[in-house]
Amino acid sequence: MEKSSKRPWYVVFWRQRHLQLFTLLGIAFLIIFSYIPMVGILMAFKNYDISTGVKGLFTSEWVGLKYFVEFFTDYNSLNIVRNTLVLSLVKMVFTFPLPILLALIVNEIKIGSVKRLVQTASYLPYFISWVIVAGFCQIFLQSNGVINSLLISLGVANEPLQFLTGSKYFIPIAVITSCWKDMGWWAILFLASMASVDPSLHEAAQIDGAGRIKRILHITLPGIRATVTVVLILALGNLLGGGLGGSNFDQSYLLGNPGNNDVSEIIQTYVMKVGLSKGRYAYAAAIGLCQSVISVLLVMTSNFFSKKVTGDGLF
Amino acid sequence: MTKSEKPVRINKQNRIKRTREDWAVDIFVYAMAALIFFATFYPFYLSIVLAFNEGKDATYGGIYFWPRKFTLDNFTELIRDSAWGNALLITAARTVLGTIITVFFTCLVAYGLSGKDLLFRKFYMGMIIFAMYFSGGIIPYYMVLRTLHLTNNFLVYIIPSALNSFYLIVSISFFQDIPKELAESARIDGASEMSIFRKIILPISKPLLATIAIFTAVGQWNSWYDTAFFTQDKSLRTMGYLLMTIINRSNLSQSAAGDAYAMTVANSTITTVSVQLAAMIVAVAPILVIYPFFQRYIVSGLTLGSVKG
Repeated sequence: MEKSSKRPWYVVFWRQRHLQLFTLLGIAFLIIFSYIPMVGILMAFKNYDISTGVKGLFTSEWVGLKYFVEFFTDYNSLNIVRNTLVLSLVKMVFTFPLPILLALIVNEIKIGSVKRLVQTASYLPYFISWVIVAGFCQIFLQSNGVINSLLISLGVANEPLQFLTGSKYFIPIAVITSCWKDMGWWAILFLASMASVDPSLHEAAQIDGAGRIKRILHITLPGIRATVTVVLILALGNLLGGGLGGSNFDQSYLLGNPGNNDVSEIIQTYVMKVGLSKGRYAYAAAIGLCQSVISVLLVMTSNFFSKKVTGDGLF
Repeated sequence: MTKSEKPVRINKQNRIKRTREDWAVDIFVYAMAALIFFATFYPFYLSIVLAFNEGKDATYGGIYFWPRKFTLDNFTELIRDSAWGNALLITAARTVLGTIITVFFTCLVAYGLSGKDLLFRKFYMGMIIFAMYFSGGIIPYYMVLRTLHLTNNFLVYIIPSALNSFYLIVSISFFQDIPKELAESARIDGASEMSIFRKIILPISKPLLATIAIFTAVGQWNSWYDTAFFTQDKSLRTMGYLLMTIINRSNLSQSAAGDAYAMTVANSTITTVSVQLAAMIVAVAPILVIYPFFQRYIVSGLTLGSVKG
């Protein structure tokens, strides 16, 4: 031990050169695909032309906060920022508690095979692409679809509701589809944590006459508190991306249309449209940067609370 | 006979009497379980039913559980369309190649980083963690892809996703749990690090490889985003992308003309919707078919992920 620590670093480095090479391949990859884009944020402050490539980042002239001013004076921007916040917050409120509820239900199933079956089924949708989920939405929600037929035959509606193009339906559809898709996946974590609750606690409570609801409230739920905290922090860190499932972009892009654009357009979809479709790269990068800054702040804040609450941060 | 009666008697003696609350909870729980089960599968089921029904007939509605006019037309139309055939090929190619490369490259880098006495290890790890939480955003990323001539190139599906930071960290902690002696004895025998990695580390890490492979493959198969934004070439279109364009188009036509959504095709029973359904079925079928086999790796994958690197 003493010997190796006294050796100059290049000797050690040379001895582990193969492992260093494997590692450095990965680091080079990160530099190219993660760190250069970070430097690329510079373009948000520059009159940047994409055809000049990475080099143009440094040669193009500075324009200061021009694009930021432009975005925030645009009549649309307030709407887009509001949509992003509303979609993110509403989804968080609904999609966070549901996996816990699902886990509680599955945990109360006492027949092992049924339990496994329901749980396995519940996380299948996690593996289905958002494109397919958007397709399901169309099949179910179109004017002659199952939901409209049902509503009409029940007498709830007199004529087909325009679910897909009506602004007031977008947020509920977004919430329901994210629950459908990601609920089972996140329930896995809660179920695993419920399984580690000491069974003797349940037995003791049972002998003392605690019913099942009491045991759920006073044993199971307190038992998973730490997991709930960690998952909540993770979800808050990705609030603007769409919380647990990170699905805001997919939903807005795939379910958004001129009919519901006033509520479905969010920062991420706007960046894509302005940037890649209309070719206003620097402007789009500036808007994207605004969201990144908020996201970074959210990550830092949730990490701070994570350290406070669980004594362990993500970094 | 006696065998089956015995445990019942024991149970009766030991069991605490079931209360009304127990019954209520059980009824609620099983009802919810049935509902969850139904809600999960019905969208798939109905889509399959509708995909096998004549498209024009389906526009009258009222199909819930069984095709009314059975047909394979929607699928034959799909096969006839060469765009779908090509998309299927591209999707399959990126899934296979992308998965192999991601698994191999991510594990290779993880193997390098798993040595605790690696010089600058802390610095490397810091770089990896930092890149997991901070990004330059999509536009600067696009700029890099453009500079590297990866846009409009099949490799854009493979190379940028070759290293996955999350699986990298999972793999590092997995490799660190492998007894050091295994690699050490091979090293003494003069094996190179690459052959230790390929012949010792990879073979004993099969559960890890399976988990990474499954998640990567599903991601590759489902992807539409990179095709939509990083390529224009028609020959590079994937299934997910084609489906996305159909869905976006029907969204548009629906907002423009309401019921004209299901545009019928002359002299045929199919509609744009019924062909879309057939395409959706083709796109989800592989996942539905392999799901029962890979689902056991899913939970282990998630718990692997909770191990911190």
